[in-house]
Amino acid sequence: MPGLSSEADRLAHLLRRTTWGLTPDLVARATKLGRAAWLEQQLRPASVADREGDAVVDRFPTLALTSAQVRSRYSDGSWDVMFDLGKAALGRAAWSRRQLLEVMVDVWSNHLNVTCPSDNVWDNRHRYDADVIRRHALGRFADLLKAAITHPAMLTYLDNASSTKKAPNENLGRELLELHTVGVGAGYTEAEVRDSARILTGLTVDDDGAALYRPRWHWTGPVTVLGFSHPNASADGSGVVTAYLDHLARHPATARRIATLLARRFVSDTPPAGLVDRLAKAYTAADTAVAPVLRLLLTSPEFLASADAKQRRPLESVVATVRALGFAQARRGDDELEGLYWALESMGHQPLAWPSPDGYPDVATAWTSSAATLARWNVTLGIAAGWWPKGFAQANLAALLPRPRPATHGALVAALGRRLLQRPLPAAQVTAICSFLEVGTRTPVRADSAVVGWRLPYVAALILSSPVHLAR
Amino acid sequence: MTSDCDCPAPPPGQGLTRRALLRTAAAAGALGVVTTAVGESVTSRYAFAADRAAYTGDVLVVLSLRGGFDGLGAVVPAGDPDYLRLRPTIGLPSGALLPLTGIFGLHPALAPLLPLWTAGSLAAVHAVGQEDPSRSHFTAMAELERAAPGTTLRTGWLDRTVGLRAPGSVFQAAEVGSTSPSAALAGPAPELVLGSIDDFDLWGAWDDHQRQLWTTTLQRMHAGAPAAARAAAGNALAAVRTTTALAAQAKKEPVPAGYPKDSELAKALRDVVRLVKAKVGLQVACVDFGDWDMHSDMGNADSGRMHDHLDELARCLAAFAADLGPLLDGVTLVTLSEFGRRVEENGSGGADHGHGNAVLLLGGGVAGGQVYGQWPGLADDDLVDGDLAGTTDYRQILAEVLVRRCGLASPGDVFPGLVPAPLGVVRPRS
Repeated sequence: MPGLSSEADRLAHLLRRTTWGLTPDLVARATKLGRAAWLEQQLRPASVADREGDAVVDRFPTLALTSAQVRSRYSDGSWDVMFDLGKAALGRAAWSRRQLLEVMVDVWSNHLNVTCPSDNVWDNRHRYDADVIRRHALGRFADLLKAAITHPAMLTYLDNASSTKKAPNENLGRELLELHTVGVGAGYTEAEVRDSARILTGLTVDDDGAALYRPRWHWTGPVTVLGFSHPNASADGSGVVTAYLDHLARHPATARRIATLLARRFVSDTPPAGLVDRLAKAYTAADTAVAPVLRLLLTSPEFLASADAKQRRPLESVVATVRALGFAQARRGDDELEGLYWALESMGHQPLAWPSPDGYPDVATAWTSSAATLARWNVTLGIAAGWWPKGFAQANLAALLPRPRPATHGALVAALGRRLLQRPLPAAQVTAICSFLEVGTRTPVRADSAVVGWRLPYVAALILSSPVHLAR
Repeated sequence: MTSDCDCPAPPPGQGLTRRALLRTAAAAGALGVVTTAVGESVTSRYAFAADRAAYTGDVLVVLSLRGGFDGLGAVVPAGDPDYLRLRPTIGLPSGALLPLTGIFGLHPALAPLLPLWTAGSLAAVHAVGQEDPSRSHFTAMAELERAAPGTTLRTGWLDRTVGLRAPGSVFQAAEVGSTSPSAALAGPAPELVLGSIDDFDLWGAWDDHQRQLWTTTLQRMHAGAPAAARAAAGNALAAVRTTTALAAQAKKEPVPAGYPKDSELAKALRDVVRLVKAKVGLQVACVDFGDWDMHSDMGNADSGRMHDHLDELARCLAAFAADLGPLLDGVTLVTLSEFGRRVEENGSGGADHGHGNAVLLLGGGVAGGQVYGQWPGLADDDLVDGDLAGTTDYRQILAEVLVRRCGLASPGDVFPGLVPAPLGVVRPRS
């Protein structure tokens, strides 16, 4: 593991963790600003001009529709808008300059997962993305939580929309405790799960798909959950919901859980306990604000000591491949994003699509699958060679070759490796790729050598299949 | 969890009530010793590998019904006087069912399985539970697949099972039809994750020479990778040669009739059969069939989510058995789910998370045509926190299958601390 002896290495480490992949342009801009200033800018995404990200959004006008408009324009249950959201998520990850925002959108989309696509959220899943996740991604967790739990998408996804005082449906009340806030080890009882579900009764969705509070469905009577007690005597329990969610968001167990979640995302699959403690304290001190926690985390000694401790998951690896190759988004149509979306299905990692409410796992052991590995190699070659996914603009591999052209195969593969990975490709791997080309490392490169011709996509794909590219 | 005072008394010598759980917890010291023994057997298995005979037992197929399979809606206790009282909307009257034995009937959507039931290759065990029930999907699934309650073991039960055997081919233990492995396979013994046989190839390898170049290069590039990434890469590369041959062969042969079209489960089970027929060394196959978390709209005998899902399950399993033909004699399939569903229906036409559940077993060695297990009843006093009580520990079923069909000598090596109590649901392999 390389030590981070230079500021350039520390910056590259920060960028590997907080973005969807390094590009020469990103490294140059961040180097100019410096590590701290770059991070501050990313923590205030509105301050980052984002022509490329805006261009992605402009390609999917459906995402600006209200749920009512979706209902009037599409046949009932259509998945079109949900697919648009998935494709836009890929495009924003690949090309937005608000990279930390896009990373955090992914983090919260998984923490408060509403599977996209899934049947009952066809008209509102894109609103959940815009009005809940994106709006609060770098704000306060308490606000994010309240927006999420009361949103029609969550209310239908976890069945609260049909939960009544007569027969409360426990699905959302349970996952709120287990997944969204305090966690399964927090020591709540089954009676408290029932009270959690009772508090949420009344939160439902009207016939047009809008959020609706239905007092007649609300269970009244005293409730107690993990230190939260309320007489809950009024049929309008919306105030109880707000107080309950604020209580849960500020609960010490939630502080630890969010601290652990962020430390796992940004530091290690097994985050150091001391760091988690400090992050939990910062979360509480900042009254659940996310930015101060991230700032502390990303400048901590534990973070600096964790280079290469995380592995890219398939989604991160594939997006990083597109970014490394310098491919630009299509000027018309959405073939490239559609292709990426379905290619990721073969790796079990389409954006937003994890089928259960706990979100995609973020530890390497969950992703060591031979099938996903094989699919990743194939898709990497498919992208580099322009087979599939295809349709990118500026997909010119020759532009990646260093000038002047290195004299030997070994030097050329090494230079291409440094360009694509933004760090050295180990010598043994350079040698292995030369054997693939059936040449030696010292074999001279001529104008008609395969490596600068038809074999170039294969070499780029092999470099991007290196375990070095997998380190996050 | 609430207190154990509302539990029914366990029958002597068996039962899996909270009281039994407390007894087990008291024996935690003894479990610690067993854990160590398992740990040693895992770490030393390579040293003895050469001495071990090649595996000759059944191919074990574990079909995971993820989301919380409603055993009460599949193998229906229609003769229980409390069943329709608690499920006035989603309950099925006995007249709508395919009668089995005693109080039980099959959901009519399972009709394709009836011939297998009659022929004695299909059995059910009812009121199956875990020693330490949880209504959390994630906790219940993790514990189900770890299958070592009261210990700190971090491996899955199938990993421990395979780890006791001589090292086999790359196909020895495989997750089929999915891109991520079951946690039952987690641990030091290698597993292959095979999305689909026909798609398992390197796109850049258009002939054997190219495949050789890719394989050698990727292998060398992963030599210094973190262990997990190196293993995944190594397994993928080792399997490619076989899968490409099988895919080429399939182009010449028609797909057998009976498998439902557009069913991922059908594709996965078909691939399992192909691996069995090709004799590539498959010993354990995990297949997923999810989407059982039916908090709403379960429906009735003729339509609804439960009907449609059971219909797909039944047609797939019937086609699987037919496709295997006589090879079914050497295959045992077991269904598992993290929990059953609440006995009383909710207000959404569904049922919330529960506990006791039904397990199905299919295979030539199954003593089928029977519903096994001790029925605890559905009267208020019989329920545990509103759930069907678990009277059979699911590990007893797995232990019996492993011992009688899969050559396991000592069940405690896989399920620490388990005192075997076979139900007789499978016959010893002859």
